[in-house]
Amino acid sequence: MAIEQTEDAAPTTASLSAVGVFKVFGPKPDKALQMAAAGEPRDEILRATGNTVAVRDVSFEVTPGETFVVMGLSGSGKSTLVRCIARLTDVTRGRVTINDRDLTAMDDQELREVRRKQMSMVFQHFGLFPHRRVIDNVAYGLEIQGVPREERHKKALEVLDVVGLDGWGDHYPQQLSGGMQQRVGLGRALAVEPEVLFFDEPFSALDPLIRREMQDELLRLQADMHRTIMFITHDFDEAIKLGDRIAIMKDGEFDQIGTALELLANPATDYVREFTEDVSRIKVLTAWHVMRPHAGEAIGPRVGVNQSIDEILVVLLGAEDAVGVEDLSGELVGVVDREAVIGVLDTES
Amino acid sequence: MTAPSTTDLTGIEDGWTQRYGHWILLVIGVVALQVAFGWVEGFPALLDHTFSDPIDDFGRWQQSNRKSHWLFTGLFTPLSTGVGWALDTVESFLLWLPWFILPLAVFLAVARSKSLRLAIVAGLAMVYPGLVGLWEVTIDTLALMTIAVFFSILIGVPLGIWGALRPRAEKVMRPALDAMQTVPAPVYFLPMLMLFGIGRVPATFATVIYALPPVVRLTTLGIREVAGQAVEASEMFGATKRQTMLKVQLPMALPTIMTGVTQTIMMALGIVVLATLLGAGGLGQEIMETLSLRRTGRGIATGLAVVAIAMVLDRIGRAAVVTDRASLPTRRTAFIAVGGLVGLTIVGFATGVTEFPEIWETDIFDPIDNVVVWVRDNLSWLTRGFNDIVVGEFYVPVRDLLTETVAWPVLMFIGGWMGWRIGGRGLAIFTMSMMTAIGLIGMWALSLDTLTQVVAAVLMSVAIAVPLGIWAGRNRRVEAFLGPILDALQTIPSLVYIIPAVIFFTVGVIPGIIASVLYAVVPGIRITALGIREVPEESIEASQVFGATPRQTMFGVRVPLAAPTIMAGINQVIMMVLAMVIISGLVGGGALGFETVSAVKRSDLGKGIEVGFAIVAIAMILDRTTQAIADRLRPPPALH
Repeated sequence: MAIEQTEDAAPTTASLSAVGVFKVFGPKPDKALQMAAAGEPRDEILRATGNTVAVRDVSFEVTPGETFVVMGLSGSGKSTLVRCIARLTDVTRGRVTINDRDLTAMDDQELREVRRKQMSMVFQHFGLFPHRRVIDNVAYGLEIQGVPREERHKKALEVLDVVGLDGWGDHYPQQLSGGMQQRVGLGRALAVEPEVLFFDEPFSALDPLIRREMQDELLRLQADMHRTIMFITHDFDEAIKLGDRIAIMKDGEFDQIGTALELLANPATDYVREFTEDVSRIKVLTAWHVMRPHAGEAIGPRVGVNQSIDEILVVLLGAEDAVGVEDLSGELVGVVDREAVIGVLDTES
Repeated sequence: MTAPSTTDLTGIEDGWTQRYGHWILLVIGVVALQVAFGWVEGFPALLDHTFSDPIDDFGRWQQSNRKSHWLFTGLFTPLSTGVGWALDTVESFLLWLPWFILPLAVFLAVARSKSLRLAIVAGLAMVYPGLVGLWEVTIDTLALMTIAVFFSILIGVPLGIWGALRPRAEKVMRPALDAMQTVPAPVYFLPMLMLFGIGRVPATFATVIYALPPVVRLTTLGIREVAGQAVEASEMFGATKRQTMLKVQLPMALPTIMTGVTQTIMMALGIVVLATLLGAGGLGQEIMETLSLRRTGRGIATGLAVVAIAMVLDRIGRAAVVTDRASLPTRRTAFIAVGGLVGLTIVGFATGVTEFPEIWETDIFDPIDNVVVWVRDNLSWLTRGFNDIVVGEFYVPVRDLLTETVAWPVLMFIGGWMGWRIGGRGLAIFTMSMMTAIGLIGMWALSLDTLTQVVAAVLMSVAIAVPLGIWAGRNRRVEAFLGPILDALQTIPSLVYIIPAVIFFTVGVIPGIIASVLYAVVPGIRITALGIREVPEESIEASQVFGATPRQTMFGVRVPLAAPTIMAGINQVIMMVLAMVIISGLVGGGALGFETVSAVKRSDLGKGIEVGFAIVAIAMILDRTTQAIADRLRPPPALH
């Protein structure tokens, strides 16, 4: 099921970091930068200079294999941020590094090399190529690298199998449903075995049931492949479900970075609180959020890693002080104690 | 021309002086200028020879240096030889093939889109010219078309890509392309004559220039339209700009580019008849002859051959645009088809069946001539009456009023005033400077004559097109009925339907006006219908909910909302009428049209370019004025 590694493959994951990233649109970026650094509000800067400060002094670090979610509403600058990090647009100030190599300082040739080997992106509106069959969409990145046709098709077939599109290779993307199209987008990104994956609101164009299905799919894949992921969303529930850590973005700035539990327990600003207030903790938090490592003790009933607290509650009521947590392949990965669940219930207002 | 709106009058509403002030200004200005300058005769043509003489000198210079100067020996003559060779090669190849190969190839090319019925019709259309004995002249025209379209694509697609990649390049190209489409085609003829002499080569180049804009525009548009995310996705895989262009942008833009190519083909075909003036031969030559012989039937037979080619090329173009790749035939099928054609060619030569069998001649359409003659003899009361009203009551009095009674400063003032009221100071200055330029080069009277004819044709066209367009826009069945008629009017060379007009009305301004109206109503009807249909259903329903009668809905909601689009249609009508000025000149319309034709025939470069400038100036004034009106009719843009 996992994507096979070729012998000479680079490490499968990389670290990603951003230091003091600013992005300013408009005619006088220098003046706007000064004002932004001095903490002037966005509207004031726009009025004074005609510039829009889309991203303001954003710093973060994503460790190898981590899923880092940036959550914000429209206009918060989250899409601009991911474009800056992937260098689809240049930052106005600041530094972005991948495996400690400065992405912002690379010339076109170096950048292309990094993109070919190390990173990939999944787009909101899929960004598929309607003139290419599904298999040729998936093989596109390999084609760009100059991989011979037969080899890249072989790889693309494997990937299609992984993303659940076995047998659809000869269709054209527009002949597929929205959810399946995004599977093509995902497959296309995975086919080049990137170390870092960018997701720009990949599921927001899908209807709710398909969206949940795709989220589960991504969790399943990530459980196997452990890529470094930067995931953009406007959906707080999605952020909690997918993110190891979550950044809440507002007016181009990060209000808070933390795990789902940290955000729910200690919202740093009123803005973050507004999101956390309405969230039903026992529904959105899962075993994975509250489990502790298994210490070797005997374990009775087991729950899945993605099962929500209210489901675990039912199991716990029936029996023991603790339940085991197993991953998708049935392996024991942790333990959820009665206390941990009660802790969650306490914060539920 | 339009009711001046009071909304742009700033300040306090100050009674009638504010509201009618500019009208009073107009009246006072006209009276005062007429009293002061009434005795002036015509516009002082101070620059009559300033531009034409150097051009004539250059013309003479190039004639004597054609064989020696490097510009000709090194550039134009080899270019001319090369294109001439290509024309000959294509033509002789097409004639060399057994006749049935071409229709079969057409059939197969169209069948690619899996529409058997269309493919059969297109294949039969390719047989038609042969049936009426026009095979060779048709191939002649087809060869010219092929080469011209080939060059248009060769030049147009890279230009379009350049425009898409460099916004600044597009900014420069756009007005140039606009001008190429506004300038009546024969104006290109003169420089072509100058550089390449007479024959098929200058005709080819004139066709290329005329037909170029759609490919360039639609290539730019197509590449721009490619979803940004698809391009970003390609970049994210580390594709170079070249890889992204070749693997993503161009293939995704292909359907739009092919639409441009189809339009280019249609435009090229539209000019092929006129290109006869440059010595292009082919079907155009044939049609010119039938016109001078007054043979309606033969003219129709030949005109249908042009229509047949138009249809064939259009269908092939459309089949090539088919994007549903899954339903296209495989490479193997295509290989078999080509192989089959080669095989049949060999069979053709082996059995000796290569020449198109002589079945009929063009005279099978001669009975039509008898009908035309009958109409002329028996309906003269109608044609005579029409002629008397348009010529006697409108054309002659208006022309004389403008050229003889009213002094030129008055007309300048009126032009400026209209420009000011409609489009503000910029348009006023533009109109007056164009008018001045026309006057200075000595084209004042001829231009007013042409303008009078143009206005007559435009009024008639609008009177027909707008009501019909509104009707067609509301009623699908009317539109379906009009469709093929409009198609035919647009593809049949106008010289063909001018033949019966000449027979009915004899040579004069009327046949030209009729031909212009028939040609120009087509976009008028189409665009009006489009505007009416595009009115959002919700607005109509909102009106109905308030209990509006159909009439109230029509004139209170539909027509006002469609007005900017209808105005764009009228703009097209004016441009088409102007394009026909030259045709009018061929059948006795006189004025600028006649001067153009005679200048081309006599290779009188200086005069020709002056006349061309006058036509272009009139076109630009009318174009900008109607566009300004359309802008005023448009609702204000949304805030966000």
